[in-house]
Parts: sequence; structure tokens; C-alpha cells
Amino acid sequence: MKMEIIHAVHVLVKSLLIVLLWSDCEGRESELDYVTCGSLVKLLNTRHNVRLHSHDVKYGSGSGQQSVTGVENADDANSYWQIRGKPNLPCQRGAAIKCGQAIRITHMKTGRNLHTHHFSSPLSNNQEVSAFGENGEGDDLDVWAVQCDGTYWERDEAVRFKHVGTDAFLSVTGEQYGHPIRGQREVHGMSSPNQHNWWRSMEGVFIQPNMEPLHHDEL
Amino acid sequence: MAAKGMNLCNVCCLLLYITTAVLAGRDFYKILGVSKSASIRDIKKAYRKLALQLHPDRNQDDPKAQDKFADLGAAYEVLSDEEKRKQYDAYGEDGLKEGHHGSHNDIFSSFFGDFGFMFGGNRQQQDRNIPRGNDIILDLEVTLEEVYSGNFVEVVRNKPVAKEAPGKRKCNCRQEMRTTQLGPGRFQMTQEMVCDECPNVKLVNEERTLEVEIEQGVRDEMEYPFIGEGEPHIDGEPGDLRFRIKVLKHPVFERRGDDLYTNVTISLVEALVGFEMDIAHLDGHKVHIVRDKITKPGARMWKKGEGLPNFDNINIRGSLIITFDVEFPQTQLDEQQKDGIRGLLKQGSIQKVYNGLQGY
Repeated sequence: MKMEIIHAVHVLVKSLLIVLLWSDCEGRESELDYVTCGSLVKLLNTRHNVRLHSHDVKYGSGSGQQSVTGVENADDANSYWQIRGKPNLPCQRGAAIKCGQAIRITHMKTGRNLHTHHFSSPLSNNQEVSAFGENGEGDDLDVWAVQCDGTYWERDEAVRFKHVGTDAFLSVTGEQYGHPIRGQREVHGMSSPNQHNWWRSMEGVFIQPNMEPLHHDEL
Repeated sequence: MAAKGMNLCNVCCLLLYITTAVLAGRDFYKILGVSKSASIRDIKKAYRKLALQLHPDRNQDDPKAQDKFADLGAAYEVLSDEEKRKQYDAYGEDGLKEGHHGSHNDIFSSFFGDFGFMFGGNRQQQDRNIPRGNDIILDLEVTLEEVYSGNFVEVVRNKPVAKEAPGKRKCNCRQEMRTTQLGPGRFQMTQEMVCDECPNVKLVNEERTLEVEIEQGVRDEMEYPFIGEGEPHIDGEPGDLRFRIKVLKHPVFERRGDDLYTNVTISLVEALVGFEMDIAHLDGHKVHIVRDKITKPGARMWKKGEGLPNFDNINIRGSLIITFDVEFPQTQLDEQQKDGIRGLLKQGSIQKVYNGLQGY
């Protein structure tokens, strides 16, 4: 008898929750909080709790290009990256990024693109991830595909970034640098999907899609 | 008789009360200076322009400045919300069911940013000793259509905000030299890290919506700052968020200042006998072109007033300059057609040889 009552209450609460969730839905896409084209975003590695970061410090080995690391603090503007379309295929400002879509991830302060290639990373001997290019223009190895379930990249969802040129996943496994970037973690590419390559969008400036069309075709 | 008189009196009083109540409600459309059929974009644009003019900090001599500014905020709050606007249109201000929610400060800061508005003064000159968080610069791509007609871009800003936390923390840490006495006449100087004690602070993420205006005629690299919307600084003020305009290339129109350039290819027949056509402009309206004379390749037509609005005065517009090029027939002509053409055109053989690259 008790179990039945508990079960009934359980079902009631669940259906109440569903009704509440449903009633909260509004027509506008922006309420559902997607990451959109042109947005600035900080990306948090959920396993190691560090944000994707870059700065004007070059690797001392490998390619010698600008280094990309993971940092613990949340208030550094050098952790902002802009989500942009592929070279020669710009995405429409404010359009939600689809799961599977190919994008470039451009470092806001230095204008260099998240990039990886067949060089070894300095601490763990995985694939080196660097920041490459000038003013947002680099080469084809700047392109990454967003891997997620569902249709669009949701802001509070953990996603993976798979490199289109080398099939590597953007990852952190915890190795730490010493001076002059003491405490920052190594960011590298790994060949298989695992718990180390989940990323979530955190702070940022998220551009909403256009509301009304600009054209007035009536005469 | 007395009862009837009383009723009449009551009715009159009620009528008077109703009419004054209706008249006492503010005319929000008039406050914003927009028509009753204004689009949401027109309303945002009007608010932003007036908010800058009417801000009390800017009108310190006007005793009514606070009231005017409050009216403006109320007008925007109602007219920018579909539901509230419907209610207002039907029942007037008193017909609005709920009280005002967000303060006017919220509305103002979604257009201009947070941190105390400095009119015309350079923020950095205020106090160099207060440390400031990083600035954020976002390259905002805009289309030529948006430059022509203007637009508002809504942006959601999720940022870390410093909040009070229990306990204390170390702040203003610095190295200082300490002199210790080891014995009579013997001293030792050592370096020591000295910190002050400050209230503890933690960073909490907060979210708000910002409205960025793409003003008509805006130029490449122009910036729209939002004060205080940048990165926080634990010991000081937050930095700013700046939107830097990047005007995208357009497949039909090229911008040079306030003028627009475009090209049209016509057939050889049209070039010789004339033609009539429409060009669809950036907002969809048609520019009509009529030509009844011969049009040479490279010929240009100027359409005054069909360019972009000037950023400083949108009533002034540039021109649309159309350059024509001619496409010759693809198929070769047979002898009969060649004779026909010689006869029709009555243009003798010219064959002038000259240096075309040096202006001869």
C-alpha cells in the first residue's frame, strides 16, 4: 500500500514537472540558449575545470607557434574565443551552430585560430595544439567540427571538438607547465573520444539571431 | 427629487474622474516621438537617441530632468513589449495590469552598459589608481543592408561578477624591506611579502541582454562601447565591452564613403537601341533606369540620393553610380549578316593606332 502511494506521488510530481517545463517554452529561439555564429565564448574542460586559453607566448619546441593552454581563473580576457565559419564559407551572424558543423575558433586578443598539426606536444607527447594565423586567417588546419547530441550546440551542454584535418579531439589530461606559465595545463589533440575531451561554453557574449527581416518587398 | 439629484451628481463626478484618469495617462508614443505603427526597431532607435539627450547627468540645470527621464524609461518599457503595448493601445496607461518591473537603470544599461555613465569624459583619466579588468572587443559583422536601414542586435552577456563572500582575503600584496636587529650594531635587511586584509570576494556568473544599435551609415571599424561589461577585476572596476563594426562585402553594391557603386551588363542590342530596367536596392525598393540613347561600354550613370545615408546626418544621402558594360553576341556572323550590319550602321572603317597606356 505504501509503495503504491509513493509511486503515485512520484508519477504526479514527474507529470507536474513536465507541465511546468512545457509551459515555460516560448516561441523565440533565443530562449533555448544556443551557441551562435559570431559569439565570443570561454570554453571549460569539464574534467579538469580549466578554460581554453592563449597568449603571446610561443612553444619552445614542436612548431614554435603560439601556445594554447588551460587556465584555472575565470576573469582573464585571454580566454575568450570567437566562433566563426570555415574559410570562404562565413556563417550567418546569430545563427545557432549545428552539431557536426565545421567552424573556426579564433582567439579574441591575438586574432589567431585554434589549430593542430602533426607535431608533438611538449609535456605529454600527444598532438600539439597551437594558435595560428593573422587577423583570423590561417589555413585549412584551423577547422574543427562540433560534436554533440541533438540538432544545435546548446550553451549548457558538454560537447567535443574534432579536428577536421587530423581527426584529433581537443583534450586536457592534466600535465602542468612551469615558468613562465606556471600552473597552466597542456591542451593537446588525442585520437579517441574520452572523458578528457568534453568542453562547455561558460562566460561570453552570445549574439542572438535577427528578429525581423530588413527587406520590405511590399510596394 | 433629492435622490435623483444625488445620482446625477455621482454620475457626473464619475465621468469627470474617468476622463481625467484617461487624460492623466502619459502618451508614450509622443514621449518617444514615434508613430503608433512604429516597429520595435524604430522604438529602440528613438529610445537610444533620447536617452543620451535626456539623461539627468547631462541636464543638471533642469529640475524636471529626472521626471522626463523616468517617463522615457516607462514609455520604452511598455512599447518595447508586445503584450504591454497591446494593453496600452487598448486601455491607456492605467489599463496596464502589472506595475513596472525592472528599474530604468536596467533598461538604460542594456543599451549603454553598467558602470556609471561618463558623459564625454575619458574614463581612464578619472582615477589611475583603481585597477581595471580587461576590455573585450567583439568584431561584429554587419551587412550593407543593415548599414542602409539600420538594425538592432540583441546580445546575451554572461559574465563573472564579484560578490561578497564570508571571511577575508589577502589583497594589495607587495614586497617590502624589513630591517631586523640581530644584536648591538648588527642589522639585517630582508625582503618580505606584505598583504592587506580585504573582504572576501567570489566570482558568480550573471547574465543580461544588451542591445547594440547598428546606426544607419555606420563605417567600418567604428566601435560601440558598453561600459563595465568587460572582465571583472577583483580589486577594482570591470573593463568595457566594445563592439567593433566590420562591414561585409556585398555581391551587388560596393561602398565608397556614402556612395554606392554597381555594375550592369547589357546586351549589344540594348547598348545600341536603348533599354529600361529596375535595380533592387538594399531595402528592396526599385531604382528605375531608362535609356533611349546609345550606351557606350564603361558609361556611367549617377543616381543622386540612392547611396547610403551619411552617419552624421541621415537626411543626406550619397549617390548610386552605375557602370555599364556590354556583352557582345556569342555566335559569329555570316557574310549576309555582316553586309547587313555594314549597311545599317553607316560607320566607316577607323583603325586608329595609338599608345593607350600613356594617355595619347
